[in-house]
Amino acid sequence: MKKTKEFNNILNDCLERLLVKGETIEQCLQSYPDYAAEIEPLLQTAMATKKAVAIQPSPEFKARARYQFQSALREVKPKRALPFFSWQPQWAVAIAVVLVVLLAGGGTVTAAGYSMPDSPLYPVKLATEQVQLTLTPSDIGKAELYAKLADRRVAEIVYIVNKGKPKQIEQIAQRLNKHLAMIASLPLAEKGAEGELPMMAPAPPSPREGIEAPTPQQAEAPAPRQRAKEGARAVPAPANARAKLRMLLQHNEANHPAALDAALKKAPESAKPALRRAIATSAASYRKALEALD
Amino acid sequence: MQDEQSLVHRAQQGDKEAFAQLYESHFDKIYRYVVLRIGNKTEAEDVTQRVFLNALQSIRSFKWKGIPFSAWLFRIAHNLVVDYLRKAKKVVITPLDESSVRSDSNPQLAAEQRLDIEQLTSATKRLTKAQREVISLRFAGELSVAESAKVMGKSEGAVKALQHSAIVALRKTLVRAEG
Repeated sequence: MKKTKEFNNILNDCLERLLVKGETIEQCLQSYPDYAAEIEPLLQTAMATKKAVAIQPSPEFKARARYQFQSALREVKPKRALPFFSWQPQWAVAIAVVLVVLLAGGGTVTAAGYSMPDSPLYPVKLATEQVQLTLTPSDIGKAELYAKLADRRVAEIVYIVNKGKPKQIEQIAQRLNKHLAMIASLPLAEKGAEGELPMMAPAPPSPREGIEAPTPQQAEAPAPRQRAKEGARAVPAPANARAKLRMLLQHNEANHPAALDAALKKAPESAKPALRRAIATSAASYRKALEALD
Repeated sequence: MQDEQSLVHRAQQGDKEAFAQLYESHFDKIYRYVVLRIGNKTEAEDVTQRVFLNALQSIRSFKWKGIPFSAWLFRIAHNLVVDYLRKAKKVVITPLDESSVRSDSNPQLAAEQRLDIEQLTSATKRLTKAQREVISLRFAGELSVAESAKVMGKSEGAVKALQHSAIVALRKTLVRAEG
């Protein structure tokens, strides 16, 4: 047993020297001549295994994944020093939690938030968006939500183009065009106090100890209290809402035409008219909305 | 480590730039780990994306306590891989195309590497789950023995023993395949 443990340590030492420090097998064997015969073939296998490191994600996948991740990242809200519920009466907390859970529909909704058009959860995602739009009364809030939805649609187009599903591309592009039309038509010029933010970002699960990482179910499960928190605190100062909307629109204006243009090159012919319309409309819609905000 | 700790703290406060940096520094390693565990490039892409989306949702639950962020991230990857494998009735090994091989290799070397990757992916299927996990964490994820031990919930001694038995088993499989 002791000898086995010693051998395991020697093998590991050699692996560290080979894999991390870049030493050769020969250099390592010189340090352990008594074990050379036994350890050499294992180190050769280890070096062959190291070639697995040559597996690299394709540039297309990296670009797609980065775009989707950044879309999700933009929906993350900064941590607030004074949580909404810290000063609310208990009954109000309970009612808010019940309402939000009822409206949001639980873990399916959270999981659906990241679903793509080829996922069974995608209709849930679209339905949730409609609820969010209904629950967002102000024009500024609606414009922000439409801008976020447009960003989602572009991410979906980038994703689905690589899957080669022309009918879905066309449908998503049509949805994108509707969002763009809404953004352009909303009265965004300043007219006194207004500006609610939509209920968007799913909250993280409740804190857990140590190394425990979320299981797929845990990570996708809702945290009702947090969800309620996000929804209930969605009444920022109007200036902040306008500034945030401006940033979103500027981001979309800078990124969407290029992303759609790249998608157009790969898209099948049947999907191209809708995509071309989206490309033509996107820059103009964002510009019009930005001008209205100025 | 200090830098990463600072980045994680900022990410937990909602700093998007910090999270983006964490994403960039771990993405390739997580992808390689998932590919080796699953053996299917398309599915590995989906799982890799979910790893980071789950991490984004759960970052505020992470507590440092001397445990590296990478170990936490690989734990998420491990959970998703286990979940995927449980649901998948049959895991299909998809040949890795040229774009999966580092482009700084010359054509002959790339061909050799491709062969080795396919052999290796196939050979790891013959290991025990724990052995495959060690190989994936140590070689694809580039984690240390200590970090691998944290991910697997085992002692460092146990991980070294698994590493030894895994390499022996891999060698037998690869030699048999060559013969």
